[in-house]
Amino acid sequence: MNTQLNRRQFLHSAAAGSLLFPGIVQQLLADSADPLAPKAPHFPARAKNVIFLFMTGGVSQVDTFDPKPELVKGHGKEIKADHPEIKGRPGYERIYLKRPQWDFAKHGQCGTEVSGLFPHMATCVDDIALIRSMHTSHSNHYNAVLGMHTGSFAQSRPSMGSWVTYGLGTLNRNLPGFVVIAPKQTYAGTQVFASDFLPGAYQGTLVVPGAEPIANVAPRLPANRQQLELAALREVNEEHLATRADDPLLTARVQTFETAFGMQMAVPDAFDLKQESDATLASYGLQRGQTTGFGWQCLAARRLVERGVRFVELIDTGSSGNWDAHGDMMTHAPLAKNVDQPIAALLRDLKQRGMMDDTLVVWTTEFGRTPFNNTADAKGREHHPWAFSSWLAGAGVKRGIVHGATDEIGLRAAENPVHVRDFHATILHLMGFDHHHLSYRHAGLDFRLTGVEESHVVKEVLA
Amino acid sequence: MKTLVCLLLGAVVSATAEDHAFFESRVRPILVEHCYDCHSGVNSKGGLLLDTRQGWEKGGDSGAAIVPGKPDESLFIRAIRYHEEDIAMPPKKKGGKLPEADIASLVEWVKMGAPDPRVAEKKIAGMNADEAKGWWAFQPLAKADATKSIDDFLDVKLAEAKLAPAPPADPHTLVRRLSYGLTGLPPTAEEVEAFAKDPSLGTHAALIEKRLSSPQYGVQWGRRWLDVVRYADTAGENTDRPLMHAWRYRNWVFDAFNHDLRYDDFVRQQLAGDILFDKADAKQRSEGIIATGYLAIARRFGHDIDKDIHLTHEDVIDTLGRNFLGLTTGCARCHDHKYDPITAEDYYALYGIFSSSRFAFPGCEPKGQPRDMVPLIPQAEADALMKPWLEKNAKFEAAKKKQLTAAKSAGEAIAKLGGTSSKVLAESKIAEGASVPFEHRIHVRKGEVVQLAVSPNESHGADTTLIEWRITETDGAKRSWSVAEMVPSLMKGNPHPSRDGADWCFFETTSAPAFLTDKADSIDGNSALQKWSIGDLPSVLVNSADQQVMAWTTLAAESFFVHPGPKRPVAVAWISPTDGEITLSGLVADAHPSGSDGVAFELKHIAAPEYGPALAQLGASLKPAAEPEPMPLIPVAYAVVDAKPINDRLHLRGDPEKPGEEVPRRWLSILGGETVPADAGSGRRELGDWIVQSPLAARVMVNRIWEWHFGKGLVSSSNDFGSRGEKPTHPELLDWLAAKFVESGFSVKAMHRLILSSAAYQRASAAPVAADPGNRLLAHFPRRRLTAEEMRDSLLTASGQLDPTPAGAHPFPAEATWKFTQHNPFNAVYDTNKRSAYLMVQRQRRHPFLSLFDGADPNATTAARQTSTVPTQALYFINDPFFHGQAEALAKKLTSLPDDDTRITEAWRVLFQRKPTAAETQRTIAFLASYPADHAEKWAAQVRVLMAGNEFLHID
Repeated sequence: MNTQLNRRQFLHSAAAGSLLFPGIVQQLLADSADPLAPKAPHFPARAKNVIFLFMTGGVSQVDTFDPKPELVKGHGKEIKADHPEIKGRPGYERIYLKRPQWDFAKHGQCGTEVSGLFPHMATCVDDIALIRSMHTSHSNHYNAVLGMHTGSFAQSRPSMGSWVTYGLGTLNRNLPGFVVIAPKQTYAGTQVFASDFLPGAYQGTLVVPGAEPIANVAPRLPANRQQLELAALREVNEEHLATRADDPLLTARVQTFETAFGMQMAVPDAFDLKQESDATLASYGLQRGQTTGFGWQCLAARRLVERGVRFVELIDTGSSGNWDAHGDMMTHAPLAKNVDQPIAALLRDLKQRGMMDDTLVVWTTEFGRTPFNNTADAKGREHHPWAFSSWLAGAGVKRGIVHGATDEIGLRAAENPVHVRDFHATILHLMGFDHHHLSYRHAGLDFRLTGVEESHVVKEVLA
Repeated sequence: MKTLVCLLLGAVVSATAEDHAFFESRVRPILVEHCYDCHSGVNSKGGLLLDTRQGWEKGGDSGAAIVPGKPDESLFIRAIRYHEEDIAMPPKKKGGKLPEADIASLVEWVKMGAPDPRVAEKKIAGMNADEAKGWWAFQPLAKADATKSIDDFLDVKLAEAKLAPAPPADPHTLVRRLSYGLTGLPPTAEEVEAFAKDPSLGTHAALIEKRLSSPQYGVQWGRRWLDVVRYADTAGENTDRPLMHAWRYRNWVFDAFNHDLRYDDFVRQQLAGDILFDKADAKQRSEGIIATGYLAIARRFGHDIDKDIHLTHEDVIDTLGRNFLGLTTGCARCHDHKYDPITAEDYYALYGIFSSSRFAFPGCEPKGQPRDMVPLIPQAEADALMKPWLEKNAKFEAAKKKQLTAAKSAGEAIAKLGGTSSKVLAESKIAEGASVPFEHRIHVRKGEVVQLAVSPNESHGADTTLIEWRITETDGAKRSWSVAEMVPSLMKGNPHPSRDGADWCFFETTSAPAFLTDKADSIDGNSALQKWSIGDLPSVLVNSADQQVMAWTTLAAESFFVHPGPKRPVAVAWISPTDGEITLSGLVADAHPSGSDGVAFELKHIAAPEYGPALAQLGASLKPAAEPEPMPLIPVAYAVVDAKPINDRLHLRGDPEKPGEEVPRRWLSILGGETVPADAGSGRRELGDWIVQSPLAARVMVNRIWEWHFGKGLVSSSNDFGSRGEKPTHPELLDWLAAKFVESGFSVKAMHRLILSSAAYQRASAAPVAADPGNRLLAHFPRRRLTAEEMRDSLLTASGQLDPTPAGAHPFPAEATWKFTQHNPFNAVYDTNKRSAYLMVQRQRRHPFLSLFDGADPNATTAARQTSTVPTQALYFINDPFFHGQAEALAKKLTSLPDDDTRITEAWRVLFQRKPTAAETQRTIAFLASYPADHAEKWAAQVRVLMAGNEFLHID
């Protein structure tokens, strides 16, 4: 429907002195916005970039960031709860409290308690605004993951990264504005980073750690041959343009080849960790030459943000073998080990480089896990939409605070509950947007990330 | 504010002047300041409006808000008194409780009888009633003026805007435009030449007929229809299950366009083909059923799709409204449409029609496999086909059971043989995702057995377990055996003969050895994966591919696995062919770390020489007498049939848990509101009739046809003809076309002939001009990029690899093998050299190519494709293997020609259907000379340049 013109690139090429372009075109282009040109938000933004760390499968709040002494004391005690995961489920007629597997300790100046599962992240609590009262609207992975990414728990809608890129454009035309680094696809597949009805320019570009992080970015031909072909292509296109030169549809496409040619270098350069010092690599837990692992993802995220990428999402694992610990909570241990040191290293690295002032780091999962199970000695925990923990750090975020609380057994978000929609409103606020007004007209209606239901910026976490 | 003002226009009244003054001075200001934010105009929190008398009389979800004269019985007063927490108003974040003086005023007002001069205009949902009745799109169509032509309408506006129409396009441009426009494929160079020689109206018309009668026409126009009805080959619920039979609907659509099925019948059959042709001949009956695939392909939601069926109904009602009527009917699910005259009652009147229909069930994680497919042959015929098979199969199953019983007792006898001579060499638990090595040196005699058994740790876990196990003689020939040797040939047998007389056996060891007798020479359609099992589990399996396979877990390349069942251990045993010392070495690894609880293994030596031969003999005796015969294929469709007719209740605020009044099944009130007769079944048949009788049906469809030729509809919001949509640029032309369409007998092909013979269609293209940047007046033809499908089909055509024949079903894994979960959803990309309209389209994971080049959204109706221009698309033309492959295929053909001149001519002929210019020839020769590679590669490079160029990918 819309022809997405690439105005900046086009003007760049017009300015390069071509005589092929009559003045009319500039007039035309004045009306047609470049979808990725940098744009100002509604009000001065605290954060210019986001690194969104998504832990797939449902991280247990009571085993990580939400200490519950009463849960330890009450271990084995029968409770009642009208819980979506046990309603009508055979074998779950009776439920019992289940104590956490890990001990908690106070950390940092602020004394925020974190469990032994995250020894490295625990050293960063003074930089974090921890929210212990998160809650969501669905207890299925698919729906909760979709909700955390798009604000919609059933229908596909644009992803938060797409909304942010739509609102802000991008700062580096040689890299996509919204990048998702994921070794495997999570629940709901590509819908978690889809632009949906927003123009295609805003969809997330998937990076799979490994040899070719972005599809078709690895040159198939030696550079000299490729340059010959691209030069010949430019000639062919210029001749074609000679009689059609006033058409931005064509000129914009010509320009994308130059950008793409650049991407073949810019992308590997962004992902080339060889340029990092031994000390940096070691802090992320990386071996020199390693091209996979969450440490790689975190360091790559820092390098992308340095290069002007607006929104980088890191997904730790796929739709199986993840935090979905029905069988045994101990399966949290290797998953925690996978992300703990790299995330701590990322926070320290950003701080050291002064990037924390511009970059918002978000850590979350799709829902929590039940503080109970159907036998007192069950090893695992079930899905829990009523309460979980997430945190924010960096640009515009208060440091060393805890916001909200669950009840004494971690069952419900009891104090200052923060719904996923409120979480989204807060992230948009930090990016300089009033979530009510970051909207897009589609099918006759104005859509927005936070939807039509009420949502509020969590002011208490703002610095 | 505007809404507010127009609501207040009517002032009225039976109240006294004093009442009026009281209201204006003491009541209205309070309402405006404290209530209107959430309860006026389009905002009606809790369904309540407080900006008109009618608003509070009707009240919200909880009923009337004010009982005049009785403040204590008025919900409104109870709320503002703030005594009851759950209804207290205004909410705290909106300022909380009102000042006492204000509360007193409002109480007094209600006591007075709540005089209220604010009378709402008569409205139908979001539109003023008069405006709704006069809304342009709902007006009946006048007869088409036979003296007029398309150009008459367009020329008037062009003249008004002082725009000169572009000259006619040259023959080459026109033939390309027409060919792509009607079939999505390029013309041949011969066709272009023929037309250039004789560019008469007759030649033009003949070419149109040629294209309209090509079967490729239906593929191109059918695909456009599939965009509008958000066609997909998967269900879209949490596991995104394949729709095995949806392809029949896809092909039906293509055929319908090819046969120029009347559009009114096309609509009717998609809604109710099963009912329309219930008594018709077998072929028509079958086609009628397939047509209702239109409804069946509705998106499914969530984990248990029955729980979210209201969302599927919404998807149907919303899509149907947009695609047939250009109305956003889905917006009336939670409340009356905010802008258009569609009420929530209208929505649930349609909802009942679909509740009264049985949709084919695609399966979902908690409810298993698909069901309710509709047989395409009469039930009696299907039964007759199935009966002999069922009988044979019952016999087969009985024989198998008997054999298993016999084997079991034989197994028990054998177990006794090993009884006292067994020695456990090693046993260990293996934690989630871990591995445990073993190494042992023992003496064996011929016929003795060494057995490695794997069991799940707890009842919860039954994990795929990787085994590496090598047996080597320490002396003599130092012969060696390994489970790895079975990877390429697992199906050879069980017992599996090995070298020098050794045998491998696979069996369950819950009590006595029970051989795995079910064999599968592929898993999920992948023949690199093979297994022996008893039923589903336990099993022994291999991945014989030289790369890992992502199945339910990642199966390493060239590896051997066992998979115990819950509480059902499985063993691999080696029968020794020799006497002497051997070493046993290897490892056992949990190959499916997924949050369950690991496995355990036991390595055992059974030092009884008679044990091995007995075991082997038992295994050999168990070969199934005959393979089971495949079930007869009953052709079925993913379709819809009538169920028990019921009316549904309104869902208050769209929540199915909050039923309101029952709503009789009927047509949209603004379009007539006829009800479904009592004896009519679901009402789908009537719905089809009502739709095609509405003038919207013809207006919306001709607008689409126009849009698909000119890039934009006369109404640019082609899915929305309501008040939020765009008005037509040429309303008289739209109506004239719609009337022509009806008069032609709803012939889509007649519309093509009409449009394609207009001067407007035949004008040269140009970029937009400042006076009409959107080219809405069509002074020239709009240039366009090829769609994703056209692009891929053009590459395949140029390389000579396009298979133009229709495709059938996708190569989905057989239903019986499905184990899709939300953790392991269905995910596949199937290659094909058929036309791209046949590519398998998945809802949860976009097809990488279609997604890159703005393919249709498989989750929502797509009226028109976007044309995005992003560098990742250019990367495709630089590095993609498919693109390179097509270029190389064409280059190969070119290099078989005698000389470069011929090759250049041929390249231009194939790619652009024209002769190269002298400059182009010169440039090509220079490029070939400068390109540092062998001849074939030089030409591949040259072809890539041409195929990536704008000329190849755009239509002027």
